[in-house]
Amino acid sequence: MTKAMLIDTTRCTACHGCQVACKQWNDLPAEKTFNQGSYQNPLRLSAETWTLVQMREVEYEGKLYWSFLKRQCMQCLHPACVSACPVGAMHRTPEGIVVYDDSRCIGCRYCMTACPFRIPRFEWDKPAGYIRKCHFCFDRQAEGLQPACVKTCPSGALRFGEREEMIALAEARLQAHPDRYFPHLYGKEEGGGTNVLILSALPFDLLGLPTLSSEPVAVPESVLAPFEYLGQPTLGTEPVTQLNDELAHVGTPAIAVGVAAILAGMQWYSRRRALAARTTATKEPKP
Amino acid sequence: MTTWRTGLRKALPLSWAEVLVLLALAALAALGLGAAVVRFMRGLGATTGLSDAYPWGIWISFDVFIVPFSAGAFTLAAVVYLLNDERYHVLVPPVVLAGLLGYAMVCAVLLVDLGLPHRFYNIIAFLNPKSFMFEISWCVMLYLLVLVLEFSPVVLEKLGWEGPHRLIRTFTIVFVSAGIILSSLHQSSLGSMWLLLQAKLHPLWWTPILPLLFLLTAVAGGLCMVILVSVLAAKAYGREVHTHLLANLGKAVAAFLLVYGGLKFVDLAVAGELGLLFRPGALTLLFWAEVLVGIVAPALIFGRRRLRESSGGLLAGSLVGLVGLALNRANISMFAIWRPAGTTYVPSWMEVAILVGALAAAVLVFALAARFLPMLGPAAGEGADHG
Repeated sequence: MTKAMLIDTTRCTACHGCQVACKQWNDLPAEKTFNQGSYQNPLRLSAETWTLVQMREVEYEGKLYWSFLKRQCMQCLHPACVSACPVGAMHRTPEGIVVYDDSRCIGCRYCMTACPFRIPRFEWDKPAGYIRKCHFCFDRQAEGLQPACVKTCPSGALRFGEREEMIALAEARLQAHPDRYFPHLYGKEEGGGTNVLILSALPFDLLGLPTLSSEPVAVPESVLAPFEYLGQPTLGTEPVTQLNDELAHVGTPAIAVGVAAILAGMQWYSRRRALAARTTATKEPKP
Repeated sequence: MTTWRTGLRKALPLSWAEVLVLLALAALAALGLGAAVVRFMRGLGATTGLSDAYPWGIWISFDVFIVPFSAGAFTLAAVVYLLNDERYHVLVPPVVLAGLLGYAMVCAVLLVDLGLPHRFYNIIAFLNPKSFMFEISWCVMLYLLVLVLEFSPVVLEKLGWEGPHRLIRTFTIVFVSAGIILSSLHQSSLGSMWLLLQAKLHPLWWTPILPLLFLLTAVAGGLCMVILVSVLAAKAYGREVHTHLLANLGKAVAAFLLVYGGLKFVDLAVAGELGLLFRPGALTLLFWAEVLVGIVAPALIFGRRRLRESSGGLLAGSLVGLVGLALNRANISMFAIWRPAGTTYVPSWMEVAILVGALAAAVLVFALAARFLPMLGPAAGEGADHG
């Protein structure tokens, strides 16, 4: 039912056309950057850069890879940011697009903390900052157009269409060229599924994505900075929001009713005890 | 010459040393307020060490520690009004004020922390019932009101307003019960808030029973706060330390901490994550530090009769308990959350100044209330009774 994007990293040439198209369509300013020893530019997503070609040099099974991965909002089917947002500023449209409503936000930044992909960014430089992230060109989609990045991609690395079609397309590619791909379609099941689907030659933890806990991890676990996470973050196939949402719906009323019942019981008991004490006191014969 | 001095002393019964301390607190509070004004004018980026990799910093860690610290007010209320143990009533007023000031600090710091603070009222206008942040905000707002009502008899007594005083007394049981329900909700929700971080929070801390663990630590930490505030206030203002009552609370702290510690390790065993306890790394050390300081040390101190029945032992036990609680909340809200490589967070001096200012303001209000409100009961020399 929902629309999805397929990113085939093996077809990406890192031309950065998607980055420029995104900035143009969304009227985002250029960022002043400097040489950081990588072609990746700018280095990170920000409130002004909603999509970014991540570039990594990775050694895998004895071969050196230069991998390009377009990073952006994963457009989760069960978005953690939407469950987190106390005021419903982050929400999922009926078309399944995760968008953000400026007028509701209070700037608590729980969405940033909750997102397993670390996508929402904050306007740190403004006295009153808003959250910014890719909104899947919901405005273009409403007119029947593709997202700006897909429209501009010259190499065919980006495809856009019905989610089922994109999954079928990706799985056909995996089957036709098992030599070219790591045998997994990322986003089909991760965290309950995303509308951004990824094909890669490399295991996905090497690309810095949280992988399914059942998947073997390729990152060596030894070299770790003092406060860094041990190993690699993992996701289940169940929705990331499942526990939160179930608890919010069941737990909150259950705690309220349960505690109220305990309080009433304790009140009743202590009153009865006081009453019993008084009656025995009156019944006692006078010396 | 001497007449105006005695007049002044009568109006302001404070020693010079006390006045100096109060002025120092006021200065720190003013500095914090100044830093907050700069933060509102220039924004979070220019005034804090926060970034996209660290959207939450020491302010949030402070909040998630001060809320269970302030749980002392609700745990003591439960003992007095629901276990109907009137003996503990003598401890209530200073503890309720400490809780009230704790929540007031949290609200003030949260307001500074919000990216769009001028729109905080949206939390009332727009609701997302799936969000534990929403539930916490509502419970904290309502509970703040409950604490004001719970403390109001002390103020009304000072003012001599008989009518409202009697009205409040009549309904005490109603809003005390409401306060206990609200506290059970938001203290556990403070733990539920991290459930969405399953992919980011280190498995030594992430568990589906986080809400239960947060509630248990809030009860234990809250009782530690009751002990700490009672001993410190009694010592500072020459009142009797009710060691026999506080010793009972200390025993309860030990019991709650042992249940909590047991659950924590059973949960790790059930999840098959016991191996993580021995993996080399800073996070493993932080976990063990939290267990030793926050569970083992206070349980040992409060477990010994000789220690829990002395004010020194009570002070030591409650202090290590609260340091352990702070470490637990800091681990969950800061250290154990996965960050991209190469990113760090160093709080700015303004972030620290705002926290110190909030604390100073709270201590200042508490000190003034201890002097000018009938909060601590009669001084030891004046023949204190336990009515």
